[in-house]
This record gives sequence, C-alpha cells and structure tokens, in this order.
Amino acid sequence: MARFANGKAPFLRMSDARDYGTGVIQRDFMIALVPLILFAFYKNGVQVYLDGNIAFAEMFYPIFFILAGGFMSTLLEGLYFTITDKSVRTMKALGMKLKTSYAAIPGLLLAMIVPLYTPIWVLIFGCIVATLVGKMIFGGFGYNTWNPALLGYVAIAFTLYGVINDAGGALNASEVLVDAVGGATPLGVLAGADAISYATLVAPYGTLWNFFIGTIPGALAETSALACLIAYAWLVFRKVIKWYVPAVFVGTVFVLSWLIGVIAGEPGIWFPLYSIFSGGLMFGAVLMATEPVTTPRNPLGKLFFALFLGVFTVLFRFVGNLPEGVATAILFMNIFTLPIDNWTAIIRSEGLNKKSWGRFAILVALILFIALYGVLKAGGTYSAAILLPQIGGLIR
Amino acid sequence: MILQKASGVRIDGRKQMSKTAPLHEVLNPRFVYLPLLQQNAPLKRVVEVGASVKIGQVVALREGFGAMPIHASVSGKVTAVKKAWHSSGRMVDSIEIENDNQNQLDDAIRPEADTDRFTRDDLVQKMQNAGLSGLGGAGFPTYVKYQTKSPIDVVIVNAVECEPYLTCDYMLIEEHPEKVLKGLKYFMRAAGAKRGVVCYKAYNTGIAEALKPFLSNYPGIELRPVKDLYPAGWEKYLVQQVTGKTYANLPAEAGAIVDNSATAIVFADVVEKNIPLISRVITISGEGIKNPRNFLVPIGTPVKELVAQCGGYADGLDPAKAYYIAGGPMTGRAILIDELVVNDTLGSVIVKPFPEEKQHPACLGCGKCADVCPVYLAPTEIQRAFEMNDKNAVKALNANKCMQCGLCSYVCPSHIEISDFVLRAKELLRKA
Repeated sequence: MARFANGKAPFLRMSDARDYGTGVIQRDFMIALVPLILFAFYKNGVQVYLDGNIAFAEMFYPIFFILAGGFMSTLLEGLYFTITDKSVRTMKALGMKLKTSYAAIPGLLLAMIVPLYTPIWVLIFGCIVATLVGKMIFGGFGYNTWNPALLGYVAIAFTLYGVINDAGGALNASEVLVDAVGGATPLGVLAGADAISYATLVAPYGTLWNFFIGTIPGALAETSALACLIAYAWLVFRKVIKWYVPAVFVGTVFVLSWLIGVIAGEPGIWFPLYSIFSGGLMFGAVLMATEPVTTPRNPLGKLFFALFLGVFTVLFRFVGNLPEGVATAILFMNIFTLPIDNWTAIIRSEGLNKKSWGRFAILVALILFIALYGVLKAGGTYSAAILLPQIGGLIR
Repeated sequence: MILQKASGVRIDGRKQMSKTAPLHEVLNPRFVYLPLLQQNAPLKRVVEVGASVKIGQVVALREGFGAMPIHASVSGKVTAVKKAWHSSGRMVDSIEIENDNQNQLDDAIRPEADTDRFTRDDLVQKMQNAGLSGLGGAGFPTYVKYQTKSPIDVVIVNAVECEPYLTCDYMLIEEHPEKVLKGLKYFMRAAGAKRGVVCYKAYNTGIAEALKPFLSNYPGIELRPVKDLYPAGWEKYLVQQVTGKTYANLPAEAGAIVDNSATAIVFADVVEKNIPLISRVITISGEGIKNPRNFLVPIGTPVKELVAQCGGYADGLDPAKAYYIAGGPMTGRAILIDELVVNDTLGSVIVKPFPEEKQHPACLGCGKCADVCPVYLAPTEIQRAFEMNDKNAVKALNANKCMQCGLCSYVCPSHIEISDFVLRAKELLRKA
C-alpha cells in the first residue's frame, strides 16, 4: 500500500512547462518595449548627437533615464517587501518575491511616457506614486485597480509639469532649435487651436510621415507609431494581448476624429491619421489598454473596454481640451473594469437573450451617446471657429 | 468571434504509451469488490454473505431514479461486505466475492437465436435488466435515455476519447470493431432512429480503418471524424457537430442520444448473448507506470492487480510526489491510497509524478480561462462572486453551465485552481 499525493483536476497544466506561464508573458511584454526604447535612443540620443547638439556621453541619457525608472520601482518594491512582509528576511527570499511580482515594469513604462528632461527627482516621485500607491497598497502584482505607470504619470502631470517644463520639457536639444515648433508638442498645439488646419497642426513638424515614424516632439519613447506597431505585432504573435483591443481602440479614435473633421469642414484623411499618430494613443493602446491586471478579463469585456477607451479619448482630447486624453481615458476606465467585466461575463455566458439584452443595450447606448456628444461638441467648436466671421456666431 | 467562439484546446494526448501493448482480456482476480454505489445512488444488496454466486447473477439493486439490477462479475462465494476505495474518492461498502475460477454462468446468460423479433420496448427493457450504464465516465443509466418521449433522429456513438493518456475505447474498438456497429444498430432500433454516427478523432484513423470493412452491412451508420481538440468528446459538442442543433439539458431535445463506444460493445452482447454489464475496459497509464496498457476486466477487480500486470510502478517513483488519478488527467480525481477497485465509471488510472517545481505568481487577469471556456463562462468573475459568497452573482454568471472540463485551470499561466473555484461556486448554489 502506497500513499499518494492529493491534488485537484486537471492534473495536466500548461503552466508546468518551462516555456509557458505568467513569467513568460511578462518577459515577452518587456521584450516588446525594446523597439520603443531603441527608437527613443535614436531620436533623443543618436540623432541629436549627430546634429552636434549634445556630447557623446549625453547620447546615452535616454536609455539611462528609462533604466533608472525600472531600477527605482524595483528598489521601492524591494523596500516595501522588506518593511511590510515578515516572510522576507534574506536577499534570496526578497529575490523570489520580486521575481514573481515584475517590479521593474511600472518604472520602465513611466520613464517612457514622461518628457526627456524630466528631472530625476520628479521621476522618483512618479515611481513612488506608481509603485507604492498604484500597486503595493492595493496588494501588489495582480490586485491593482489603476495602471501603476499611468497613475504615476498623472501624478507628475498634475503637480510638477511646470518643473519639467523649466528643466527642458519634452523637446530634445535639436527640436528646441526649430523655430516653427514654438516649443509645443502636437497635441499641445491642438489644445490651443480653435480650428482644424493642416498648416498649424501638421506642417510645423514636417509631414504625416514624421508622425508615423515618430520624429516629432513628445514624450521620451511614445512618439513612434512604427515602433508601437512592431511591439503590437510581437505581442499579438506571442499571444500576450488580444489583437482587437488596440485595433478597436485606435480604430474608434480614427473614425470619431474623422467625423469631427467632417463636421468641422475638414474631411481630409490626414486629420484622423494625425489624431491617431500623435500623443500617446498608439503607445497607450498597445501597452496600457491591454494591461491584463487593470482591464476586463473576458473577451467581450475587453472589446467593450476598448470601445469605451476610444470614445473617452476623443471626448477628453477634443472636448476636455486635455493635452493628453489617452492616459486620462485609461485611468478613468480602469475604475469601471469590474462592472464591465461582470456585465459582459453575464452577457457572454447567456448569449443575447431576454436576460442579457438590457445590459448589452445599456453598454452600447452609453458608447453611442458619449461618441455622439464628443463628435458634435468638438466638431461644433472647431466649425464654429471657422464659420464665426461669416454667419455671425449663429452656431455658437 | 468574440461573443461565441468555437472553443477547444489541442492537448498533447500522450496516448502512444498505452497503445503499444495489446488489450489484455484474460484476468481472473482472486477477489472482486462490487461497490454498493452508482453515481450518487446507494445500492441495495440482495445476496447474503456466504452465498455462492454465478457470473451474471443479480447481487444488488439500484432503486428510485435509474432503478436496475447489478450483477456478479465472477463466480464464487460472497465472503464479506467490506469498505473499498471508490473512484468518487470515498470508501464505499462493497460486496467481496472470492473467485472460484470456474466461470459458471447464470442461467439468464444464453445466446439469442433471433434478435430481429425484439421491439423497441424489449430493447430498452434489456438495457435495464442488464444494468447498463454509460461507460464513458458519467455512469448515467442508459435505458433512462431511451425512455425519452422526444423523437430521436440520430444515435451517436462517442469514440472520441479526448482525455489525454486514455486509449481504452480505441483499443476495445480495434479488438471488436463489428460489435460497435452491432451495438449502434440495436441502439438505433431502441431509439427508433434511422441514423447512426460513430464519432472519432480525425487523427485516429485506426478506428475508421477497423470499422470501414463492416460498414456496408449496417445501413444508416456513418463515420464522422471530429477535430483533435479538448473537449471534442463532450456530448453537446458532438450533437452540435452531427445535427447542427444545440440543447439546454438533454441531447434528446435535439433529437439525439449519445452513448460511449464501450457501452455500444457491451450492448451488442446484452442483446445477442444476454450478458449483462459485468466487465469494462480500463487504461492503466502515466509516467509512473512501468509498462502502460489496457485491460478488459471484471468489474470490482482491484486496480493493484492491474498495476502489477503492468510491471508495477516506474522505478524510483516516490508516491508522496506523484498523483494516483482515478479517471482521466483532466477531469479525474486524486486517490490517496492505491487500494482502488474498478467500478462501472472508472475508465482509467493514471499515475503521474509531480511536474518540475516552479514558482507561480498571482492571477494577472489575462483572461485565457474565459477564452477557452466551451460554455463561455468567465471563471475569474465566478471566483470573485464565490469569494464574496454572493449566490445571486454566481447564478447570474451561469456557473451551473460549467461541466468541469478543467480547461480553465489547464491554460492558467499562474497555475490557479480556477476550475475548483467554479466547482465550489456550483456547490454554493446547490446548498441554496
């Protein structure tokens, strides 16, 4: 007679394999950051050095800055574990803890979405908010409500943006020298603009090709739509993210921006393209709207989440006149992850029938309503500005 | 695509290991233990300790729902009523019969000269008298399915066997191909159905090759390969593949009845030779078994004897670091002591050493569990509702639709016992 171990079915698990598991998912996610970091290095380091505007050693500052963010959040999480977790007594135990909590990611992402000349102490402040407030207070990896990096970003943006601007802001040493830009990022220009015109929105930065490649002023590593698409392809290929979340998010913004353009009398396709290539939309759609912990779990929930993100981004960007609608939209929708997950789980398990269509209709109606409001309001604002001199303010 | 995606996961079958050795059909255990439990129904014993019994003699009765007799699987003497380990993971009162190796048959077991005279009711009656229950794993009394009032268009024989490691249905069909078709023919007559379908996994061409030569003698019967996916052997999936219809509770609602291939083989003997359900086929496999193989054994045989026939456990197996699984590895149950006996629902025993140790983080919310769920549930939401003890939420999330295929736990990258949470959520509903 032999005594065997107890266990629960199924006795086969994919996670038993070495090449499958949450660790592999997180590793693949970090690999996706590489093209973005490399582009930041090229745009804010190599190119500026080749222009002769910075010294050789300074060329590596973008990479140093991003790694510093990752290092800071790892350090903070390590400190947090050492102080609060009694089971962590040795370095080895601490290492094991950090290994399954993926501490570096919030800091890395945060450093990538702030301006290049953010002072290190501001970055540290952001990391404290991101890691300690955004992640650890909620219970650590897997339990946070808000995207930690975005929470850190918003904390910086709402309190210390003046400090960042005084220290040099988003423009690298080459961009500062270009007069046409006038010291603003494209969405900064949009927020100040009262009409949609190619001459003021796109022309100062070159062409839309610059927007696609990412050689426009903006946060450290989020300007390149191309690098984001490479990361997107990799993450989809590795099944880390669902292909339709970024696609639906960006697609919604594209369609609604185009409608706004049409209403404002600018039906050119350049405007929706400009809209999706500028700011953090691509970056946010690929790396943050898909972040598993803070977004719905079931496929239908992810779809609705992406739709909501699209309409809220448009609302915040064009109506709210925030320079950055994406971060706000994602953080705002993070709050509704639980109810959306719950409702869509019910809808999906029922199929569309008597019990579930009410919930489905409410979700769809909300999206349509917000989209309609955003489009009409924004379109009206811009068109009013154009038409005002001629029809004497009837629309306004 | 997103709302209702055709689900299923390809799982490494690990089937080759138990296919190399032929089906072992001759085994006379010294003792058999007939458990006095079927599904959740206790059985009423009708033989006294000390009585001598013949093969096929009624020794116990199932009463109430699914009432039917249970038969002795060997001839010999009833020596005791003892507790024995049952595949449900409990110790169950069992009738111990000492085998006299005489193989004396009960008078009821005799060949039928003319099977054509049986009416539909006769055949259903025969199922009941033979104590025939589903051998696929659920153990549902077969005759109850055929008592349906709904019109039945098609009888499906399920030879899909989508659990990894298991090859017993396959090996039995290889050995007795014609009996599958005979059993299906009688099933069709018992249901009044014109159409019969044998479903098997597409890669398992051996089944098609074994059955094809006989197919011309059995009009109305066709072969139907299904994709190599888990859970392709699920009743609802097969009914949908074959009829294009779906149903809420029973396949009969869609005009179909599904039976396991091993059940069909037994039913052929029930009709033609009046041999009741006294034996079943079982796979003994897993990395913890020296020479995995399949057996056709009297019900009540101790699994230990089968393991011994396989050459025992693998060298260096540490039982404390291995699972002894009653049933398939996806849906089976860990048995703590290797004193299990073969009952009507036990299709396999898998002995499997622990996988390599690995550290697992918390749930990251990837949603892979919701992606693969064949009934489109959201396991993480059910877990949350269960942890908050919220019965209404568990109910609204349709936790009852779960059929415990185990896929959510299987794909979980963080090794969370997510299907167990759903199971417990279902239990919460039952208590209400």
